[in-house]
Amino acid sequence: MSATLSGSWDVVVVGGGHAGVEAAAASARVGCRTLLVTPDLGRVGQMSCNPAIGGIGKGVVVREIDALGGIMGRATDAANVHFRMLNASKGPAVWGPRAQTDRGLYSRAVRGLLDEVEGLELFQGEVESLVVEGSRVVGVGLRGGIEIPVAALVITTGTFLRGRIHRGLGEGVSGGREGEAATVQLAEGLEGAGLRLGRFKTGTPPRIDGRSVDFQRLEEQPGEMPDFRFSFWGREGSPGARSCWITWTGPELRRIVESHLGESALYGGALSGAGPRYCPSIEDKVVRFPGAERHKLFLEPEGLETGELYVNGISTSLPVEVQAAMLRTIPGLEEARITRFGYAIEYDYADPTQLRGTLETRGVSGLFLAGQINGTTGYEEAAGQGVVAGINAALGVQGRASWVPGRGEGYLGVMVDDLVNRGVDEPYRLFTSRAEYRLLLRQDNAPERLSGKARELGLLPPMAEEAWREREKTRSLWWGWARETKLPRGAIERVLGEPWERAPETAATLLRRPEVDFEALVLEGVQSQAELRGARDPEALRALEVDLRYAGYREKEEAKAARWRDAGKIRVPELIDWDACVGLSAESRMRFKKHQPRTLEEAGRIPGVRVADVELMERLLRRDFPPLRKEGASA
Amino acid sequence: MALATPAGRGALAVIRISGPDVRGILERLGAGRVMEVPAREATLVRLIDPRDASLLDHAMATFFPGPASYTGDDLAEITVHGGLIGPRQVLEVCIWLGGREAEPGEFTRRRWAAGKMDRLQVEGLEALVEADTPTRHRLALSRLEGALSRRLDGLRDGLLQVEAYLAHHLDFPDEDEPPTSMAQVIAALREVEGRLAELQASAPLGQRIREGALVVLAGRPNAGKSSLFNAILGEERVLVSPEEGTTRDVIEVGVDFSGVPVRLLDTAGLRKTEASIEASGIEMARRWLEGADLIVWLHRAAWGPPTAQDRQWLEEVPAVRAGEVEVLPLASCVDEVGGVENMATLGEWEGVRGVPWIPLSVSSGFGLDEFMSAVFSRLVGSTQAFGAVDQGTVLVREEEARAVAEALSAVREAVGVLEGGLGAEIAAVEVRHAGEVLAGMVGPIEEEAVLDRLFSTFCIGK
Repeated sequence: MSATLSGSWDVVVVGGGHAGVEAAAASARVGCRTLLVTPDLGRVGQMSCNPAIGGIGKGVVVREIDALGGIMGRATDAANVHFRMLNASKGPAVWGPRAQTDRGLYSRAVRGLLDEVEGLELFQGEVESLVVEGSRVVGVGLRGGIEIPVAALVITTGTFLRGRIHRGLGEGVSGGREGEAATVQLAEGLEGAGLRLGRFKTGTPPRIDGRSVDFQRLEEQPGEMPDFRFSFWGREGSPGARSCWITWTGPELRRIVESHLGESALYGGALSGAGPRYCPSIEDKVVRFPGAERHKLFLEPEGLETGELYVNGISTSLPVEVQAAMLRTIPGLEEARITRFGYAIEYDYADPTQLRGTLETRGVSGLFLAGQINGTTGYEEAAGQGVVAGINAALGVQGRASWVPGRGEGYLGVMVDDLVNRGVDEPYRLFTSRAEYRLLLRQDNAPERLSGKARELGLLPPMAEEAWREREKTRSLWWGWARETKLPRGAIERVLGEPWERAPETAATLLRRPEVDFEALVLEGVQSQAELRGARDPEALRALEVDLRYAGYREKEEAKAARWRDAGKIRVPELIDWDACVGLSAESRMRFKKHQPRTLEEAGRIPGVRVADVELMERLLRRDFPPLRKEGASA
Repeated sequence: MALATPAGRGALAVIRISGPDVRGILERLGAGRVMEVPAREATLVRLIDPRDASLLDHAMATFFPGPASYTGDDLAEITVHGGLIGPRQVLEVCIWLGGREAEPGEFTRRRWAAGKMDRLQVEGLEALVEADTPTRHRLALSRLEGALSRRLDGLRDGLLQVEAYLAHHLDFPDEDEPPTSMAQVIAALREVEGRLAELQASAPLGQRIREGALVVLAGRPNAGKSSLFNAILGEERVLVSPEEGTTRDVIEVGVDFSGVPVRLLDTAGLRKTEASIEASGIEMARRWLEGADLIVWLHRAAWGPPTAQDRQWLEEVPAVRAGEVEVLPLASCVDEVGGVENMATLGEWEGVRGVPWIPLSVSSGFGLDEFMSAVFSRLVGSTQAFGAVDQGTVLVREEEARAVAEALSAVREAVGVLEGGLGAEIAAVEVRHAGEVLAGMVGPIEEEAVLDRLFSTFCIGK
């Protein structure tokens, strides 16, 4: 009974991985008493796979989570031992910040940051059942007979639902992660609640003892930009630096994999679920790319206080002796000692098309799913969903309007929309190419895109709010200056370093020329307007610069966005004269008059209304002159 | 349901019914037997009015079960005897049985909505029914068969491939060696560019096929305009005589000029005259010249090179002065000077705005073919475009030409961006835009003006 726990909560979050952590923090920040329940409180924020956060697209997500007051950005900063800005040689729209992190430090940082969140409590326990009344979730049952009543429940069980770990052939071993038990009863509970579950698989590579590696034979890849922070408001800093190391697989490894393919869990038939194409196992690489002579491997440090290395690029489900033989063929790893073998894991996921954009299940109100359980992969994707689910679970409990980020607001919006509207047929990962507004959804401007909303929702702690105000001040002053103030000839000549015979021009226009130096413009700005001097948030200025430089192309994106905007959002004027809408069928006209739809989407959902008539209405409404009743005339 | 044949007297009338309740309606009409014979086979039925069990008609009925039917739903075709009353009665009974008269074009709209045809095919069907020249008919048919759709699909596929290359470049910089270099991406884009340009080259032909062209024969009196006119028509339509001023008014005829519907005008010879009828004919001719797409200027070879005075009338047509209308100069009646081989001087005749004189003899037929193909290539920009008719890939509609031009300019922009070393992320915006523009031509994606016309003025395919 709940009496055994001292307290009561509005929102309970099941799972302490990246999704659960963010869901719990967001829910508590929105203002709901929140309880996070996980089987092992020592493993909160655990990284199950590689010790790295961020990357292309993914790094933007981390910054979006941070802009919404989340945990991941600050925790990454606190555990960052090796930073790189991927794609730095390309345009800023596709820059991808990525950090190697110390696993232990990351997990501890998460725990510490959770403890800072007011209204959030943690509890170690294993959830076994859902309590559903009618079509609403009202509680969860824990192992040992404890039952906790809930107003909303967020389930974030990752790969634990009926997880099975495979190496070689055979049944595999039940488990959600190496050494941790799978969650079986909850899977049955979800099915009992009417959710469709599917099966996916993923894999992880072996790890090795760094002391047994011949680094002379490897290419060192040091970190860069030590002053970079994922969080725009946190003050955590890197605890130290470690390098990554690059090596390659060769023909000998290929022969070994080919001759043992039948013993692979993936190829021997032990596994049935779909796996990600973009994160292939070494077996996949060998089979699918027979022409590739070698594959690149990154040896990633597991942490500052350990020499253990994660061999990124060689995820495998081959038997342990084959894994050992494979590694011996890799330059630098000839003598490497394996500390943990790689494995494949197969697990249940819930078809995400059963969810609303809020990540609440359509069938059971109050029940939210977030993270890998929705068929995604990646810490960042999981955490991002956690934020969305946590916010909306809390908003729902408070009776407030839900918030779903749009595709033009963030990768979070792209992801949620893809998941619930398109579904998944392999583990879902974010790419920049999934976004139609790639030039807008950048790592440098997440606060501009999201923090205003976050503040409104109550997600920003005071520290974050203060940092955001500073950014906003910088942005609005400089934005105004850059777009409206025409620089006199002398100023332009100083900026360009060459004569300027033409009329005065704004900074915004000048910046469309790639060779124009932004710093020089800022200098002119500071000299011309005193108030600009006090508004110099460097990140805000950087985001502004990129916005201005991309302005021409952004306009194209925008024009397209406007044309492609969901027709469903088109509003039906209150005064529309249905009788004057020529071409409507009589039955649809009657139903429109009765239901008075406010948007085209609502019009389409009225039972008995024909698609042809909704299309006709769309055409009428897209023009500016749908027929209106004279005001005051009777309907 | 709807009447699929024109209302009115006729041997037969075809009624089409489609929707979820077709089986029920057939059953109650006494045509249930049609569902017992194999699908898509016609069978004889006696149609009964269920209200009073009276006989409506003997009919041939065919049942097409969904989803393998025209609309995707169950569909039946009932062929009844024609006339004003019978078919109408059957329709009324169907309404009484819960049916509803289809909106104009609704059957085709449903087929489209069921994903059985794309928008270009719908347009092909519309054009097929409206086609009034063999070329228009041929183009509509190949459009209905999806020739243009396939061409566009191929282009979209090429663009998708490029987008995939760019995505690889942007999203996976750290992986194994890239499968493609930027030079290969540019080459792939250039190929798409070439294919788009080829498609775009058919646009002037499409415009001509759509709008037709006005070709005006002009020249001094007795230059042989009417002889040429008759030769083109292959019949003696116009009185020809050696007497100057024989043709006093403007004679017009519609000719299918290798697929381009041409309004061909024979005009009064241009000269100063006291005869008032002839004078007003000349005045009218000037007005036609102003609105022409092509002016064919005939000048008799025997008269020698045209003088400045001969050329003056041309300069008096503002459209010619402005370069808005092309002029095709013909040296006529070369047989009178003993054939073109005796006309060593023709090469020295000063061309008209750079267009050289074409020698022609109507009586011997010499030069007629060259003349015809010159007219065609003047009208459509080139003769090669005509191959597009055979392939069925002519951009007939104005908005198609616009869309292809837009896609082409986006692809060119992308090539420029990549070659100029600017970011692939910017090129990707352009490539995606090009793909979307093309998708908009084929798919159910909006482009309101097109859908608007498509489904409101569209009265076929029932």
